Amino acid sequence: MAFFGTVLNTIGALFLTHAIYSAHEHTTAFANTPLPLDITLELLVGVIILSTGIVISADKLKPIQYAKWAGQISQEGRHGEGKYTREGEEILSEGDPYAFLGLDGGIGGKGEGRRGFFDVKGKRKEYDEWVRGKQ
Amino acid sequence: MATVDERELQINPIVATSVQHNTQVTSNIRNLTASLFGVAAGTLGLESYPGFIFYLVASSVVSVLLFALKAEGQPGKYFYKPLGDMWLGDVFGGLSGFVLTWTLFYGLVRA
Repeated sequence: MAFFGTVLNTIGALFLTHAIYSAHEHTTAFANTPLPLDITLELLVGVIILSTGIVISADKLKPIQYAKWAGQISQEGRHGEGKYTREGEEILSEGDPYAFLGLDGGIGGKGEGRRGFFDVKGKRKEYDEWVRGKQ
Repeated sequence: MATVDERELQINPIVATSVQHNTQVTSNIRNLTASLFGVAAGTLGLESYPGFIFYLVASSVVSVLLFALKAEGQPGKYFYKPLGDMWLGDVFGGLSGFVLTWTLFYGLVRA
């Protein structure tokens, strides 16, 4: 999409530049006469193509409803958006702001799970087994 | 009636960073296209009211482009108040840029 936008911008800028140059030539040759139709049309076509290119090559909008925004993040995960810092690091999209809670780990999972809700009985059992192993 | 709005926002919260990002994107687009329309209006040699009418017509074309290409036909998903934020968002903010390039190109090309 970004490539398409750049193509449109280039074509539109060429049309616009040519139309403005023609208008300038026309007014220096025949002052105080209306602009010929072809220059007007070229100018308007150039402006429309260029503004379409500007709209297309702008950043993507983000959903404002929390549910849709969070749904999009959890579906797509953190991914690059084709932008890089000056040091060459890729800029990633927004990630899950609650990832630090480790909710996806859970009691049965690999992670610690949600902090503050860790499995007390399981930990106690683990400790008992460790003590029994020592004896 | 404010409480109804508040309750609605409690049930369906709004992400402030997304709102900010969307406003920035639209104002960027508005400013760039406004100066572009100024170039066109000056080269066409428009004067007085026709120039401002040209700006309003061209801005509504950009609004349609925003609606179709950026908001994908669902402005409610990306803007809290679609009428004020997308259809009319920053139209009058871009007016100064429009007048700037309008006068410049009128002077360069037509005068």
